[in-house]
Amino acid sequence: MIKHQVNNPEERMILVCCGTGCLANGSGAVYEELCRALEGNDRYQVKTFAKATGCNGLCEKGPLVKIMPDDITYCHVQAEDVSEIVEETLIKGELIKRLMYRDPATKQYYRSHHDTDFYKKQHKVALRNIGEIDPAQVQDYLERGGYQALEKAIKTMTPEEVIEEVLNAGLRGRGGGGFPTGLKWKACAATDKQPRYVICNGDEGDPGAFMDRSILEGDPHTVLEGLIICAYAIGASMGYIYVRDEYDLAVKNLTTAIKDARKCGYLGRNILGSSLSFDIEIVRGGGAFVCGEETALINSIQGNVGEPWDKYIFPTEKGLWEQPTVINNVETWANVPVIINAGSDKFASIGTEGSKGTKVFSLVGKVVNTGLVEVPMGTTLREIIFEIGGGIQKGRQFKAVQTGGPSGGCIPEKLLDLPVDFDTLSQAGSMMGSGGLIVMDDRTCMVEVARYYVNFLAGESCGKCVPCREGISLLLDILTRICEGKGKLEDLDLLESMSKTIQQAALCALGRTAPNPVLSTLQYFRDEYLEHINNHRCPAGVCKELTEFYIDPELCNGCGRCRRKCPADAVTGEKKKAHEIDLSKCITCGECINNCKFQAVKVK
Amino acid sequence: MKIRIDGMETEVTSGETILEAARRAGIDIPTLCYSEAFGGQGVCRFCMVEIEVGGKKRLVASCTYPITEEMEVRTATPAVKEIRRNLVTLLYRRAPDSDLMKKLFQEYNCDRIEPVDPEESCIMCRLCVKACEKVGANAISTVLRGTEKRVATPFDEGSEECVGCSACADICPTGAIPVKEEDGRREIWHRSFEMSRCEECGKHYTTQPVSEHVKEQTELNSSSENICPGCRRKKLAAEMAKVRLHVD
Amino acid sequence: MAVNSQQAADRQAIEKIVNSYPPERRFTLAIMQDLQKHFNYLPKEALQMTAVHVKAPLSAVFSMATFYKAFSLVPKGRVILKVCDGTACHIKGSNVMIDEIYKTLGIKPGETTPDGEFSLETVNCLGACALAPVLVANEKVYAKITPAVLRDVIKKYQGVEQ
Repeated sequence: MIKHQVNNPEERMILVCCGTGCLANGSGAVYEELCRALEGNDRYQVKTFAKATGCNGLCEKGPLVKIMPDDITYCHVQAEDVSEIVEETLIKGELIKRLMYRDPATKQYYRSHHDTDFYKKQHKVALRNIGEIDPAQVQDYLERGGYQALEKAIKTMTPEEVIEEVLNAGLRGRGGGGFPTGLKWKACAATDKQPRYVICNGDEGDPGAFMDRSILEGDPHTVLEGLIICAYAIGASMGYIYVRDEYDLAVKNLTTAIKDARKCGYLGRNILGSSLSFDIEIVRGGGAFVCGEETALINSIQGNVGEPWDKYIFPTEKGLWEQPTVINNVETWANVPVIINAGSDKFASIGTEGSKGTKVFSLVGKVVNTGLVEVPMGTTLREIIFEIGGGIQKGRQFKAVQTGGPSGGCIPEKLLDLPVDFDTLSQAGSMMGSGGLIVMDDRTCMVEVARYYVNFLAGESCGKCVPCREGISLLLDILTRICEGKGKLEDLDLLESMSKTIQQAALCALGRTAPNPVLSTLQYFRDEYLEHINNHRCPAGVCKELTEFYIDPELCNGCGRCRRKCPADAVTGEKKKAHEIDLSKCITCGECINNCKFQAVKVK
Repeated sequence: MKIRIDGMETEVTSGETILEAARRAGIDIPTLCYSEAFGGQGVCRFCMVEIEVGGKKRLVASCTYPITEEMEVRTATPAVKEIRRNLVTLLYRRAPDSDLMKKLFQEYNCDRIEPVDPEESCIMCRLCVKACEKVGANAISTVLRGTEKRVATPFDEGSEECVGCSACADICPTGAIPVKEEDGRREIWHRSFEMSRCEECGKHYTTQPVSEHVKEQTELNSSSENICPGCRRKKLAAEMAKVRLHVD
Repeated sequence: MAVNSQQAADRQAIEKIVNSYPPERRFTLAIMQDLQKHFNYLPKEALQMTAVHVKAPLSAVFSMATFYKAFSLVPKGRVILKVCDGTACHIKGSNVMIDEIYKTLGIKPGETTPDGEFSLETVNCLGACALAPVLVANEKVYAKITPAVLRDVIKKYQGVEQ
């Protein structure tokens, strides 16, 4: 136990992270147990209560419990730990070492998560409230300055001034396109048609991205406030939030938030005494990645299949029910109240020349600190992955980072010092997308990764236009052949030629960006393709037909870990003697190589 | 407003598509999913052209691009030709059993490609779905998505809405919709319809639901004959001839 | 008799769900979602009644039912295994888990065992990437699964009756 100075606060708040990652790890039970333990809390010196919050971002260490204002963070907390937390920390004022955050590299213990590298290098704007408030309580949002931006806009600014402010802030769409938000609003306001609509695009479908989910779950009012401010600026009467139906908690918290906002007079007729009348409805998505595309999303809201149309006339002119419509992504909306509150100059002081503000990334894959991070635009990939993310898991070798979701690209080690913004990522053959950052190590096969994304898109393409539907089908066919060791050198030319046609001719952004994973891996990891084709070998040991594992007797010390982990009983060997793999039994699942601490398992 | 298409100046009305303007000017842009009756669908992308506005070039689908400003259109640049050739390769790979795709495959000098299903002939141009919609039956639609997408009736069963008019099969450019006519019956889309005979020549010419539908409509016009289009033309010509005689 | 009363109850349930929305095309998706949740699939009759209610052709409703991944036209198994195949899970071996399920139960993604016990689905990303690879069995989340854990989970559900 370590003694710590109790701040002797007037009241003490215990925040239990109930984001998706923590909930899946059992934080719901922790919260319930805490509530039970705190009932009839006459043993505490001060009023103590528990709150369930949204995602804190450090999902790897969940479930997280924070004690405020003492600023103590406990990691991997289970319901069984609650009585100890109550006895030792809340009553005796002592820290519990085994629950404290321990830096994986320096082995140093931290009292508060705020002091760790993971948080120190972050700059929270869109995520400013998440993890600090109970998303189901409008009061919590109000206490942190919620709806002040709306009041400021309605009471002290004209709609034109609001648009001007967003324009000057340099805010660009966080959903992928990076289109200037203010320009969208301006174009919509300039039309002569009524009614007008605003839409929040919460159909987050990128595999490996969950920032929108976190915002909708953890701070729904900020999204509502953004929408209402826009409605005031462009003169909209109705707003729709399109959210994935699988996001149960997001739908639940949004529903509560909308009800509370109506009660408080932020939604409904004559909002805050102004002439603005505006309401918001939730539309649950049906499970289609393509609905993240604006026109497909509009079609879906209208009760059709989610097929896009040619956007030669923008939705700002002809959108939902052919009326002027502004669509922005969840994270974009979360930035709007901050811009109005702090002013465009302040907002624009963060970030790079062409990309202002911060960006939320979901840092996942083979990285130590998996989670949600928010950093100023222009932060380098190296800082994000190695300083915030803590580097590669199990001491393995970094190979690539995939950005931008299925239509993004894979960026190699030589570009790690790239300052990340909309433009630099595009130049590197990838894109910002919604902000997925998937870290890959030497156990990731880049050909198989390309195949994975193309396979994903084959199922998620709406199938309307020929280049996307048939082109992806052909790309998948070729990539599968290469992964099975049946590829030919000419295949690479065909991949490139067809990819170009898909980029140029496909109807929507999904199709036009679909070849990115193929083209970027061909550009940066061509040697892996050649290894598959010429030598029938998968260097990462992923493509089963092309993989043989063996144990290097020089390196193996016979610890037996691989033998115990092998689900096929293919590893044999005596204790403390070099082990062997029986290839006739091996199912090449990779459990041995993944679990060997001595890098003794190799790919032939 | 005036625009230039392949160097030729042509008058256009604002909002008109590039394809419409080009066709009027006698410039051929190839299409696979376009029909004047339904307008542009933007599905096949065969009609991609290059446009240049204010010095900026981009590739667009001419069947859906509305002209709202002055521009230069080029319908056969190397990039456009490469797109068309690749699209033919892709569609031949999908529908190798269609005469149209076999012909285009030769015409565009495409490289050999392994077909997915040698017996497939549908290119998913969706003209059948549009035709069915136009007839008012809405018996077929696209189903599934992605590479699995196809045209079908609900549950792949005979649809109550289908009247057996075969407008879908008639408009299909690749003959992909099977229609069987035998012993006074027509089989189409999992259904079998009894056919009506022409009162003049005695040939089966349409299905009963269709002729009933026509009868309902035409009774208002006091004409209730069951006559096939061929005989109707002949009859009309004869009547016209009579009229002329009277005049003479 | 039992069959008829079941049919009547189903019909009533469909009517209740369908009529809880205004008769407008834009509610088609919401109606189908509620139907899917209630029946665990979309019965034919339910789609027909939806089409009539929202005044849309049956073909259009069927088109939607096959387009969106949330819907199924056949009843799903008693235990629904969802393997997350988001990128984080994929590079941490979700395909190995899918293979393992095929070996144990003989079903591929989208299939149901002949006895109607297990269905296997893959889902895009559950947003629990820190727990990769993730398996969800009837809404219960299993984190960082391995082939061995997977076999235990399946065994557990095989033993449990409804």
